[in-house]
Amino acid sequence: MLSWTKDVEQWATFARSWFLIDARMQPPGKIATMCSIRLQGKHKPIYHALSDCGDHVVVINSKHIAFSGNKWEQKVYSSHTGYPGGFKQVTAAQLHHKDPKAIVRLAVYGMLPRNLHRRTMMQRLHIFPEDELPYDIQANLTEELPQPREIPRKLSEYTQEEIDAFPRLWTPYVEAHQNIL
Amino acid sequence: MTSRGTPSRFLRSVLQNGVGRYVCQLKRISIIFSKKAQSSLGARDFIEEGVVDYANKNPGTVVYVSPQPCRVPKIVAEYLNGNVREETITSKTSQQISELLTKLTNQSGLEIIRIRKPIHTDSPSIQGLWHPFTNRPPSIGPIRPQKPNSQ
Repeated sequence: MLSWTKDVEQWATFARSWFLIDARMQPPGKIATMCSIRLQGKHKPIYHALSDCGDHVVVINSKHIAFSGNKWEQKVYSSHTGYPGGFKQVTAAQLHHKDPKAIVRLAVYGMLPRNLHRRTMMQRLHIFPEDELPYDIQANLTEELPQPREIPRKLSEYTQEEIDAFPRLWTPYVEAHQNIL
Repeated sequence: MTSRGTPSRFLRSVLQNGVGRYVCQLKRISIIFSKKAQSSLGARDFIEEGVVDYANKNPGTVVYVSPQPCRVPKIVAEYLNGNVREETITSKTSQQISELLTKLTNQSGLEIIRIRKPIHTDSPSIQGLWHPFTNRPPSIGPIRPQKPNSQ
């Protein structure tokens, strides 16, 4: 009778995974949704609210996130210092310039449940502005998650054949009168 | 009182009774009644009408019929696991006693208390306990990208 195999099964079941998410050109809300599910452990079949089964999430390239619309200018992050007249409001662009991790961190924090585990789960979130990771975190990674949005290609990344093959509805004036001009 | 304080057990059967063949778990039954008392009227009726049929139908059960001067007639049922159950049959009709005997015959003799879970299995899991790498494609190296578009 090998009794230690049961112990090992138990350890394997409750082992913490480390997920890697590349936030380059991704909406912060989509990144935060993936993070909050993993931090709470809700992707596991063994999930229970009292069993502290959340995983670690590493977000890289948080400096290169992409907002849609005009959120960089119109989205406002508010805070209050607690002193009279201490109400601060900064736009997303200003906040991102000051701290490139802040937008992702605040988005994840807002999506976590409002209970005593919230700060603990935030401690398992590791955000890096660029794609360089320290060795002790890199050694722990178990899985890289797919990006929620496909990154659109720039015009400079298309070859000349692809640009020529693109269907046109009208001819620009400059091209039509090139020989005249 | 909350139900947590009451005695409880898990769902089980006696030696998987009925999987191969069924063994009646009722070992012995004694019908104790009075020859004269009014409360034993139904018991006396049952002994005239049904007790011989019952004994014929259940050859694995010993049936005792013991007339005693008593006010409360009763049925004492003993099971193969040693449990003894006493059921009073005061002023019950012959029909009701017959139904009670059928119930006692079909029972397993396990104590009738709160059952903690309505399910039980002898083989808890064939595929084993879940762990983070269950149903994951194998890959070499620490990072396992799960890219649907790479295939």
